[in-house]
Amino acid sequence: MSDKLRVLIVDDSSVSRMMVKNQLLSQQPDWTVVEAANGSEALARAAEAAPDLITLDLNMPEMDGLEAAVKLHEAHPQARIAIVTANIQDSMRQRVQSLGILFVAMVDKPINEAGIRKILAGL
Amino acid sequence: MIVGYQLSDLQRETLAEVFNIAMGRAAKAMSNIVNEEVLLSIPQIRMVPRSEASSLLGGPEQRVYSITQTLDGEFHADAILILPQARSMDLVRLMLGSPQQLELVTELEREALTEIGNIILNACIGTVTNLLEGQFSISLPVLQSGLCGDIIESHAARQSEEDVVLLLQIDFTVEKHSINGHLAFVQTVSSFQALLARIDRFIEKAAQG
Repeated sequence: MSDKLRVLIVDDSSVSRMMVKNQLLSQQPDWTVVEAANGSEALARAAEAAPDLITLDLNMPEMDGLEAAVKLHEAHPQARIAIVTANIQDSMRQRVQSLGILFVAMVDKPINEAGIRKILAGL
Repeated sequence: MIVGYQLSDLQRETLAEVFNIAMGRAAKAMSNIVNEEVLLSIPQIRMVPRSEASSLLGGPEQRVYSITQTLDGEFHADAILILPQARSMDLVRLMLGSPQQLELVTELEREALTEIGNIILNACIGTVTNLLEGQFSISLPVLQSGLCGDIIESHAARQSEEDVVLLLQIDFTVEKHSINGHLAFVQTVSSFQALLARIDRFIEKAAQG
């Protein structure tokens, strides 16, 4: 993927956003990153930035990642969404799949190089 | 807030995130035991007088089982799984699978609960210590039965004279069977600096990518 993509990183933990951002930029230094700390903020940021890729945490206060995924996908169908989560239960995987959105990838926290590669491979 | 033991926002949320990841692993282990989804709350971090900790963990007067493993090393903490006794038999039944004779379940209850605790606590503690890269010895699980207040009090009292503890807490629910409980890390403030040093290192590494 040679285009310079715009990425929205959504996570209530700033340290987790930092990890996703650093790992991503180390593999794609030219990409632009914006951040949001919860689902509602993500919707606002996405409206401004029109991201190509969104990385989304699930366990967040206010609006969780599942609800945010549906709303983000509705508002920005062109944006690809990757789930980055600590909730690695099969039931959560199934629930994510049942949303009917084609996600780029679902990777476990903490994010690492392999996780980012999995996301990039899904684009 | 106690002077001298303040967490910066970044330290607090890093600690919460480490705990969140750890509890995510533990919930998967737990959902494998009960064959149901385990719902998790957002992690809470509080510095509280130890007498107040039990009110945050279901209430001092609630009859509970607790399973505890103690971490000893750079810092000292008790990882405690708290299960209200009212529904603990249901948890054991789910673990054992097919409907068992009540007598047999009762006989196995303590052993089964200890094993549930062992699996969940190990998943959680293992992830915390891996992420923070500390060297710790971890005790075998100890099952206690009694009032939540007495149990928490006895843990904190055994550790030190200090009146304040750092309480990390996640509540979990197996919704389909109305089973709920708490997983808590209780740490005395005496080893607080060692924990902070580990958190700072984690943040530093995260910043390096």
